[in-house]
Amino acid sequence: MKFLQDIFEKQKPHFEKGGKWEKFYYIFEAHFTLLFAPKDVTSKKGVQIRDAVDMKRMMMTVIIALLPTLIFGIWNVGHQHFLATGQEAATLLDKFAIGAYAVLPIVIVSYVTGLGIEFTFATIRRHPVNEGFLVSGMLIPLIMPATIPLWQVALATAFAVIIGKEVFGGTGMNILNVALTARAFLYFAYPGDISGDNVWTYFGDSLIGMSEPVQAFSGATPLAMAAADGISSFSNFWLSDAYTFQNMFLGVIPGSIGETSTLMALIGALILITTGVGSWRIILSVFGGAFLMGYLFNFIYDINYTGQLGTGVKIAFLLGTIILFIINQKFIKGELKAVIGVLAGMLIFTAVMLFSGAASEFMKVPAQFHLVMGGLAFGAVYMATDPVTASHTFQGKWIYGIMIGALTVLIRVFNPAYPEGIMLAILLMNVFAPLIDIYVVKANKKRRLSRATV
Amino acid sequence: MDLVSLAVRSIFIDNMIFAYFLGMCSFLAVSKKVSTALGLGLAVVFVLSITAPVNWLLQQYVLREGALTWISAEFANVNLEFLQFIMFIAVIAGMVQLVEMVIEKFSPSLYGSLGIFLPLIAVNCSILGGSLFMVQRDYTLPQASVYGFGSGLGFALAIVALAAVREKLKYSNVPKPLKGIGITMLITGLMAIAFKSFIGIAV
Repeated sequence: MKFLQDIFEKQKPHFEKGGKWEKFYYIFEAHFTLLFAPKDVTSKKGVQIRDAVDMKRMMMTVIIALLPTLIFGIWNVGHQHFLATGQEAATLLDKFAIGAYAVLPIVIVSYVTGLGIEFTFATIRRHPVNEGFLVSGMLIPLIMPATIPLWQVALATAFAVIIGKEVFGGTGMNILNVALTARAFLYFAYPGDISGDNVWTYFGDSLIGMSEPVQAFSGATPLAMAAADGISSFSNFWLSDAYTFQNMFLGVIPGSIGETSTLMALIGALILITTGVGSWRIILSVFGGAFLMGYLFNFIYDINYTGQLGTGVKIAFLLGTIILFIINQKFIKGELKAVIGVLAGMLIFTAVMLFSGAASEFMKVPAQFHLVMGGLAFGAVYMATDPVTASHTFQGKWIYGIMIGALTVLIRVFNPAYPEGIMLAILLMNVFAPLIDIYVVKANKKRRLSRATV
Repeated sequence: MDLVSLAVRSIFIDNMIFAYFLGMCSFLAVSKKVSTALGLGLAVVFVLSITAPVNWLLQQYVLREGALTWISAEFANVNLEFLQFIMFIAVIAGMVQLVEMVIEKFSPSLYGSLGIFLPLIAVNCSILGGSLFMVQRDYTLPQASVYGFGSGLGFALAIVALAAVREKLKYSNVPKPLKGIGITMLITGLMAIAFKSFIGIAV
């Protein structure tokens, strides 16, 4: 390490004020701080607390937590390739090779585009290079299908970095998650390539003499299938080998590169939670909210389909939930109040659904399947926890997380236009996170003022 | 149930701001503080939920072709639709006067912070838009009332959310040329992307 540090120290004068490359100081600084913690302290007087874990180290932790999904994603792309082309007897190495051939260019394009823009902005606007993109640049490829054209990756990354982040002043100041902005941009601009309806399987590239590239592969993701044909064809497919609970949990199904595997996301969650980088409150509440909403939908379906419940019972149910809500507002304090408040809101929604008598086939999907289908786990662990765009207060985090989970299932069930809901649910809650915070802080102030005796 | 789904539609799916981009002037101008934004949002809710049913009655019994038959059968051919805009605006302006007086009386500080934008609600396109959409879509009276209330609530939700975002944005380092309205326009676009999650929901 010493010799590396020497190299940097030697170059440093060139970049400092008066040096010949003064303009590019922040580019130098970015590389230096990536490797070493800087010596500078912020003030000359007083006690200094120095922590080696600065923002760069924190972002690296997230990248380490992302590695399992990346490695698994590379393998899975290869695996799906061989499954779809009917070559069962491929070795592990073959699968990794094909996967890497498909995935690594996307990663490289995303990093090169994003970091290029980031460095340009840093040089022109004279602010330090922001580390946030190290994570976003890894997240963007992981939520893309393996078949995405590379120019679209570059375009989406550029849009997300410039409009989603740099116009706000860089990392830590954006309002929407950068990676999700990239995906939402592609989703609405080029729906043909990323609509979420069809299975994305990498078929290879005829240029290097791999198997035939088939353009139209008419498979559907489990979510799209459930949305389109209702539960009957869904459960047929379900019970066949491909989409068992176990397969979806492990992630051995077609889908975007990184988001198929719930298991890998949970390993990532373990790393994030033990290092204290990700908030366990958000991760837990997203899963909990989605499970509960799924469960409530099962319940609504049962009641509405069989029609056993009388109007009196429904009214009692509605009144009960409203009373629960009021009791909660009056007597319960702290984080529990936030949790029960949101849950009571979900119950009131359920009561309204009972009155409406609506019953969609999708409601029958067992609640635990909602947790492993689509990108819910990936979104919950890596994107909902984004400390910049999430709620900052503890109570706010519970509300934010539960609402994400519930909205995800809600969009899946009710919105035929979008088979997957986690992306839009997180974006929507990103928009409302500041509002949640403001009201939580306001309530805190009010409570403390009421305790004041002056 | 029809009314509940109409309410959900008008709040989230056909949101005045994010689906139709109506009423942008006050949306952009009065969203610097949450408390002010909430005040304007509530004023819009009030004005919309009064003007939609009133304008419905006006349309039904005065303006529409053959509407005047309740006075005398000889008016069956009278069509006053060409007066629609001016009549609707007159009703809206009257309502806004009322709201203005009420706010000035009960919350002078809010009155001060809303400033010129309170009288300007009268020409807020989301409010006239609410009345015109209601006519165009052939709503009944209860539907029109729910629609007016829901659209107002959607507007209030949007403006309060934007105000919260802008309060947070005070700590951001926005490039100079984009400060103020520029960045707010960009945020509105990004928020509209997020709100797209609702578009297409069948209720």
